[in-house]
Amino acid sequence: MTGIYVFSEDPRLAAELATTAAALADEVHVVCLGADASRTLTATGATSVVVLEAAGAPRPEAYVAALAGLMRDRGADLLLVGATVTGWEVGARVAALLDSALVSEASVITALPDGAWQAERVMYAGGAVQTETWSGPGVVTVAPGRAVAAAVPGSASPVEVVAVDVDTRVRVVSRTARVRSGVDLASAARVVCVGMGLAEPGDLALAGDLADALDAEVACTRPVAEDRGLLPTERYIGISGAHVHPDLYVGLGVSGQVQHTVGFRDAKVVVGINTNPAAPLFAVCDYAVVGDAHEIVPLLAAAVRARH
Amino acid sequence: MCFKWVAAEGELRVDPATRAVDASSARRKISDYDRNTIEAARVAAGSIGSELVGLTFGGPDARTGIKDALARGVDRAVHVVADEGARADGHVTAHVLAAQVRRLEDVDLVLCTEGASDTYAHETGPRLGELLGWPVVTNVRELTVEGRTLRAVRVLGADLETVECDLPALVTVVPEVAPAPIPGLRSVLGAAKKPSEQVPVADLGLPAGAVTARTTVTSFLGYVAARRRVVLADGAAQDKVDALVAGLAQDGVLR
Repeated sequence: MTGIYVFSEDPRLAAELATTAAALADEVHVVCLGADASRTLTATGATSVVVLEAAGAPRPEAYVAALAGLMRDRGADLLLVGATVTGWEVGARVAALLDSALVSEASVITALPDGAWQAERVMYAGGAVQTETWSGPGVVTVAPGRAVAAAVPGSASPVEVVAVDVDTRVRVVSRTARVRSGVDLASAARVVCVGMGLAEPGDLALAGDLADALDAEVACTRPVAEDRGLLPTERYIGISGAHVHPDLYVGLGVSGQVQHTVGFRDAKVVVGINTNPAAPLFAVCDYAVVGDAHEIVPLLAAAVRARH
Repeated sequence: MCFKWVAAEGELRVDPATRAVDASSARRKISDYDRNTIEAARVAAGSIGSELVGLTFGGPDARTGIKDALARGVDRAVHVVADEGARADGHVTAHVLAAQVRRLEDVDLVLCTEGASDTYAHETGPRLGELLGWPVVTNVRELTVEGRTLRAVRVLGADLETVECDLPALVTVVPEVAPAPIPGLRSVLGAAKKPSEQVPVADLGLPAGAVTARTTVTSFLGYVAARRRVVLADGAAQDKVDALVAGLAQDGVLR
């Protein structure tokens, strides 16, 4: 047992991983890029902070071989990587170089008594939970927000700077902010979601009016944005789109494919309005309204307004 | 391009009492976003006058997926046939795909989808790229090839990052990269004339360690949503709306 190594290009996420790791092992080593990151991470109570240092300002993905080399040299048991776009890539490539197990976006990680590891992850877009075990080295990615960032008052972990070679084959040409319409679905308290059952251009006004009455954001399923182009792609909820946590989700003409429903799994109350009583959405609803949204929605908007 | 033959997630049956999952009656399909990837790969191959090879690793039933991939624009297909009952994790899958890519000649670019409908692990593509020793570019929504240079736009949270690298390269793409048109009758009929090949995994000559899963699945349970499922199906529309609004008000979710 040589302790757990944690890595994220985002120091806040690295501090969260330090908390997760501290619950699993006595020795926790935080690996980071750059001196700035190391300054915040020395206050996490970690056994040590390892700074990978290279000339220039390489992209985080350029450190994959260096990180794998560090794991190998130190005989690390487990590497936790923050599950960001960068972290997914780094985790999988390090696992390939180490020829080791990888568990992507684990929700629960357990150290088993025989020295093996166990982790749980969701499958089928949240439709199932799989538990996997492995022994020997492993890489596990962990999503942001799974743990509180470690902060140990008075702690000052020793910092070790390791000069490494980086892979410069992929060159960054530019980095720009995405053009967005200012919608922040992730923090919306109420969401009205348009599905393919209500996806004629004239139907949007109907959804918009209900959203106005409820003080909700308008969202949609992926085909409404991608295939019909009725709403911008940042408004679609689902596994590859937005994940929302509202008090109220109202699905209009939403069939309820799991790639979509996983995106609002944490909603407090879910309402479905659909003509098809067998719509899969109704299986994950608090209120299943069987009926034509064209008829129900205006009545619902009026009833909500009547309460104001 | 690599694609995966998976169980249709909407057709898995979960026993509400035991949470046991029955996938035996679920239809199989090409992983949803792989359809977008096929289209992106078709366009990319066309732009440089290359052949597009579809590659999949799976049990004998993945053969049906080959026909679908050919209809969607793959020029020829290779199906590495997994041993019956053997479990493949990302480690095994990447080793098998890497071995088969090496057997094909002059591969310039391999496209994988960022995640599959069943696992969505963001794993196979980057692992495969690393095993091939190629540059890896992930989470791509636009790509172009000019000469020996790949240019790609990656989605990185709120930012878009444009990167370049030399070929050969491995790219993982998100569904925004291309639409996934439904193949027309001509494409479906034409698919029957395109070449395809089945390669037993044993023919790849991989060492035992490369085809032995690193992880063991000890439990696989369905997720049962704890929702109330109040059904408002009967009566006039206004009655359903009144019942719904009363319920939502009681739940405290109306402003």
